[in-house]
Amino acid sequence: MSACGVLTLLVLGPVILSLVAIATPAVSQTPATPKSGGVLNAMQREDLPQGFNTHETGTISSVWPVMPCFNNLVLFDPAKKVESVDSIIPELAEKWSWQDNYRNLVFLLRKNVKWHDGQPFTSKDVKYTFDVVREAKDAPAKLRTSPRKDWYANVENIEAPDPHTVIFHLKRPQPALLLMLASGYSPVYPAHVPLAELRTRCVGTGPFKLKEWKRGEYVEYVKNPDYFVKGRPYLDGIRYVVIVERGTKYAALQAGRLDVAFPGESTKTVVDQVKAAVPKMVVDVVSQNVNDNLLMNVTKPPFNNVKIRRAISMAIDRGAYIKAVHQGGAVVGASMQPKPYGVWGLVDKDLQALPGYGKPAEEKEKAKKAMAELGYSSSNPLKTEMATRAIAIYVDFASFVINELKQIGVEASLKQIETAQWHAFATRREYGLGANLTGIGVDDPDANFYENYACTSPRNYTGYCDEQVGKMFDTQSQELDPKKRYALVAQIQKKLEEEAARPMMGWRLDYFAQWPHVKGLVPHHNLYNYGRMQDVWLDK
Amino acid sequence: MSIVIFVLLRLAPGNIVDILFSTGGYVSESDKQLIMKELGLDRPIWLQYVDWLRGMVTGDLGKSYRYDLPAWQVIKPLVPVTVELAILSTIVAVLIGVPTGVISAVRQDTALDYALRVFSLAGLSMPSFWLGMVIILGLVAWMGWIPPVTLVPASENFKIHAVQFLLPALAVGYRSSALITRITRSALLEVLREDYIRTAYAKGQAERIVIWQHALKNAILPVITVIGIEFAFLIGGLVVTEKVFNLPGVARFLVDAVLWRDYPIVQTLVMFIAIVVILSNLVVDLLYGVLDPRVRYA
Repeated sequence: MSACGVLTLLVLGPVILSLVAIATPAVSQTPATPKSGGVLNAMQREDLPQGFNTHETGTISSVWPVMPCFNNLVLFDPAKKVESVDSIIPELAEKWSWQDNYRNLVFLLRKNVKWHDGQPFTSKDVKYTFDVVREAKDAPAKLRTSPRKDWYANVENIEAPDPHTVIFHLKRPQPALLLMLASGYSPVYPAHVPLAELRTRCVGTGPFKLKEWKRGEYVEYVKNPDYFVKGRPYLDGIRYVVIVERGTKYAALQAGRLDVAFPGESTKTVVDQVKAAVPKMVVDVVSQNVNDNLLMNVTKPPFNNVKIRRAISMAIDRGAYIKAVHQGGAVVGASMQPKPYGVWGLVDKDLQALPGYGKPAEEKEKAKKAMAELGYSSSNPLKTEMATRAIAIYVDFASFVINELKQIGVEASLKQIETAQWHAFATRREYGLGANLTGIGVDDPDANFYENYACTSPRNYTGYCDEQVGKMFDTQSQELDPKKRYALVAQIQKKLEEEAARPMMGWRLDYFAQWPHVKGLVPHHNLYNYGRMQDVWLDK
Repeated sequence: MSIVIFVLLRLAPGNIVDILFSTGGYVSESDKQLIMKELGLDRPIWLQYVDWLRGMVTGDLGKSYRYDLPAWQVIKPLVPVTVELAILSTIVAVLIGVPTGVISAVRQDTALDYALRVFSLAGLSMPSFWLGMVIILGLVAWMGWIPPVTLVPASENFKIHAVQFLLPALAVGYRSSALITRITRSALLEVLREDYIRTAYAKGQAERIVIWQHALKNAILPVITVIGIEFAFLIGGLVVTEKVFNLPGVARFLVDAVLWRDYPIVQTLVMFIAIVVILSNLVVDLLYGVLDPRVRYA
């Protein structure tokens, strides 16, 4: 090499090397190639309440460990945190299309899909599933109970013209139906397996087949070798280990006996401790789509008076509530999941203008004044009961609110209800005030409003009923333009908060923890829809 | 006993269907009636009781409401776990409790006696689940390790299986040993003041023989009684320990079944525990005769 060449190399060499270094991502940033094999050990907070019969339950304790066994027609993309109509991907349906101005939803199904027992999957299975769920008159079977039949109230009938086509005929346009079909709560069942059997064994089309359910101990799956997505799943199996004791489950995660936490289970405080012990633990902060809401029995005095309800809503300092009860692990929002976690939440400016969401001191003063006008004060308090579920997270919530209300002349005594009786108690409206938690399966106004605020819904615990608001629900549900629909939904949210139909205290965050060797498991801003595990792999 | 179990369960507040389907949130009245019929709960209570008794006699323990499986099929794998843990805990308790009690009695009012009494008092004051949690958290904090959280059968890996059971047995056994220590000490102190013990010493027998062969044999009856009671208590009383160490045993399952109002499971488990209590008392009574000829029947 000539002297000139050496000089050029000396001068340009470092420059070229630095350019190469910039252009080449660090090894850790390179998306690694998925590897097949290994068994994922996942946390499970309790045994399966109704076995594998997801359509009979309403808890993440069922959805999380059962999702790998089944498929939906469509699903929220497991790789995307925010769920919306744009993040829906096909599963058992290869394609779908809306027809007749969103009155008919047509699904073209995949061919050559088999149930785990070898039977072929056809459109009959889809019709069977959703006829059973919506309790159609001619449904061939009956669930013991169908908690989400209201999701399908607008379905006129379901048609299966050939083995690979299904048509949902609707009474009126409802674009949101597709989102409800994409939830983890909407698996397709095999028509040839009696419903009762799904309480003890799982026959699905999903990426994993049930190997063993040891009651109270674990649920174990193995890879489905005939899965219709070639090359999936990556894992050889999954084991959901039931651990009830909180200290033990996080010790197991910390010690590496478990690879991933349970959705919605990890609070900020617990995860901070785990992270301090295992700094490489990966923690994703996501919304649970679960809110803490204050119930006021609208059907009886004194809470049939909107002025009292509004004063109570104004008395509660949401920011302080989140700090004290959740150690910062929640966010303020109205009746839809707040942005950026959800699609439909109110913008801050709109939210702060609502009663109870402004400056706490000013809001409390307004509340005191309103109560004084009604004749209540600290010397002549409004006496009532605050009912809640006998679980620490509920009791903390209720206790905080009781303390806040004392400051505006409301004296509430705490009444704890045995946990398993809470929903029936709330449905019977045997309370004045109540502290409640509500999980919403899909971040869509239809899933939320009809279930929690519609006049006839059994889950409308407060008994709030306004025909005008009901019409607004229908109008937004039929609106095809997303911007116009958002405006209508915002209007409904403002109305609900102004009337203190069910004041929101906060929306819970989840501090989902997993070991760094777990890849492809992306927690969503919703507990219920990311448990399929098809794309999860272990980098060990 | 069977009537008490049967009636008490049905006196618990709340509608069973509401409770069974609480995760679904709400069950309509018509659905409720159908489910009650399916579970056989729409019949008069006395008829349900007669059917249950008949089932018990014929080996049909009913079907779990929650799992939709025969109750015995659900319970069968749990029994060996609890029995093994109870036996191991009792062994640990005896191994710690009896020698400690003897030493404490023989060295009465010495520094060693005081130390052992503090040790046993600490055992009584510390709930076993708390001690269990301290063990688990200590292991994970200092060693970054805890035993497997699913049961490993002894046939698969004896070492791991032993560790899974020894840790909870230590936590539970320590608490039980405290009681045994105190009973052994007081019973032995009483015997040590007897004339025949003085005579044995006067004959020049070694202290070891006097204590272990003469005194302890005569002081052991109340200790055996306590061990029997403790064992019977452990069968149903290991709830929190089984939870902390995540062992799938009877006690943990019983609490879950009560919360879910799973009558067939609760009834069977309570009857099982009652039988264990009766049997352990029987064994204690038989041991009286073996250890003390004075209580033998002619």
